[in-house]
Amino acid sequence: MIESVSTAIRERVQRIEAMPAIPAVFLPLLKMLSDPGKDVALDEVVRLISYDNSIAAQCMRVASSPLFGLTHAPTSIKSAVISLGLRRVETILLTCCLGQAFPAKKWPLDPVVFWRHSMGCALVCRKFSEKLRAGDAETAYMAGLLHDIGFMVNCLAFPEEFQRAMVRAVQEEVTLDTAELATMGFTHCDTGRALADKWDLSQDLVEVIAHHHAVEQSQRAQPLVALVHLSDLLCRMRGLGYGYYERQRVDLLSDPAWAVLLKAQPALEEMDLVRFTFELDEGVAEIHDLVSAVLGPAPARA
Amino acid sequence: MTPAAQTAITPAASPTREPVDPVYRQIRDLVYKVSGIYKAEEKLYLLADGCARRMKQVQVRTPRDYWDHLTAQPSRDGELRQLLNEITIGETYLFRSPPQLDALRKVILPEIVAEKTKQITKRLRIWSAGCSTGEESYTLAMNMLEERDRLLKGWTVEILATDLNDNSVETAKAGVYGDYALRSTTDYFKRKYFLPFDEKKLQVRPEVKKLITFSRLNLQDDSKMLFMKGMDIIFCCNVLIYFDGPSKTKVINHFFSNLNFGGYFFLGTSESLVKLNEQFHLVHFPGSIAYWKPSLSSGKL
Repeated sequence: MIESVSTAIRERVQRIEAMPAIPAVFLPLLKMLSDPGKDVALDEVVRLISYDNSIAAQCMRVASSPLFGLTHAPTSIKSAVISLGLRRVETILLTCCLGQAFPAKKWPLDPVVFWRHSMGCALVCRKFSEKLRAGDAETAYMAGLLHDIGFMVNCLAFPEEFQRAMVRAVQEEVTLDTAELATMGFTHCDTGRALADKWDLSQDLVEVIAHHHAVEQSQRAQPLVALVHLSDLLCRMRGLGYGYYERQRVDLLSDPAWAVLLKAQPALEEMDLVRFTFELDEGVAEIHDLVSAVLGPAPARA
Repeated sequence: MTPAAQTAITPAASPTREPVDPVYRQIRDLVYKVSGIYKAEEKLYLLADGCARRMKQVQVRTPRDYWDHLTAQPSRDGELRQLLNEITIGETYLFRSPPQLDALRKVILPEIVAEKTKQITKRLRIWSAGCSTGEESYTLAMNMLEERDRLLKGWTVEILATDLNDNSVETAKAGVYGDYALRSTTDYFKRKYFLPFDEKKLQVRPEVKKLITFSRLNLQDDSKMLFMKGMDIIFCCNVLIYFDGPSKTKVINHFFSNLNFGGYFFLGTSESLVKLNEQFHLVHFPGSIAYWKPSLSSGKL
């Protein structure tokens, strides 16, 4: 991307009035949950959440929803963690935070669809990472969750331009980044990067947000970027895309990202990708339900 | 791994259904290993139902005892086949897998048409291998007819539909279907491609039948398989599960050589080749999976 466009995006992102204010607990929570090699202390999470009443309340509401089928609704964050497991509660918490940062309004991209994709990608990244025993599954989870935040920036900072890109993508059934480039001249990777810098996210996360569509351009954490790229594609092929048909054939094993990941994680060689795909399908219904529980009623599955 | 980690991507327990015995997950894995058929977590109850019917037949009482019956000689091989019969039975109907049809019409056809436009013969050949009573074959034919005035204008479409079972082939030729087989067929397709047969059934119109050649074929008959050349697309859904490992490999290798370069091979929606042929490229389309024989121009051979 040429420098002047990059500067223009940055300026627009800085100036925008409704720029997402992330709930104060989000970044510390993110850091705590993605700290590699450290066991997450339950009490710490509970203490952190108690600082934000609205997040805590929303989390409890979701945890008590019929989705989880608990016979007794949890009465505290701690009891929710005990009943549902830390990871489910973590997913609920982060989704609540992000749902607040980007409240659902009339946007070119339906936030419900967007969060289904992001959460789906997060779960697939984590599962992928665990399958490969690739160390830090939580960082992979965060990377998946945040990889597309540029779309939300598009909705806020470039609503008209992005609306045109969205219409084109749906009509021509092409990928969103293709349509963005054709109509706007830049993509959610560029706008996402500007927000990631503003939020002061870790360099690895910035790298994922900026390069998940062009893994070869990433300068650091390339295996992580590759993992997110592949998980993103898988989600879009298995009912967790952007709510429209993407007319494409995806050959993951021939994708340059596969080679990058294989080099870093030789265990990938042994992975049964079809079975992994079928296992991914098992989580789709829960993701749909969870996002609906956080954000309210949702349109039918795409 | 913590219990929470294990459940991270699996659905929450449904409040309305009893949790399944963990033995069924073992059986699921065994079935996958042997047949390539995967019963997803939310479909485990179907596997459990199938097992329950078999357990009654062979008079074992608990899932654990049935696991022993499934895995210990001498009952092992025969019982696994019976179980596979039980869990795949009666699953065929028209328009069974819309994502496969979308992939066919939106991605594969435009690609093959573009590739073949350079050639003189504008001919598309599709093979429904193990066509059973014809539901899949007619679904394919109707979808091709939908493209007759668009992508396939000026093209000749041939659908070969074969099955081992004579009775199935005869039923398929008749093309008469009731509510069950038509439950996913829209009114649009019913009106356009069917005629009333009797009060309860519809019959496929002659123009659809004209596209299809039904015949009996044993996929294990090597000499006959050698003649099935020049296919662009092969569908072989829920058939390979009945073959043992070596025969399966042989049949797949036949399919690979029967396909044109750039052709596609589809299995049932929950089936997989599990490394039976390394030359095929596994490819994803929205909602479906297929195996691709690389085209000469792709540089991936």
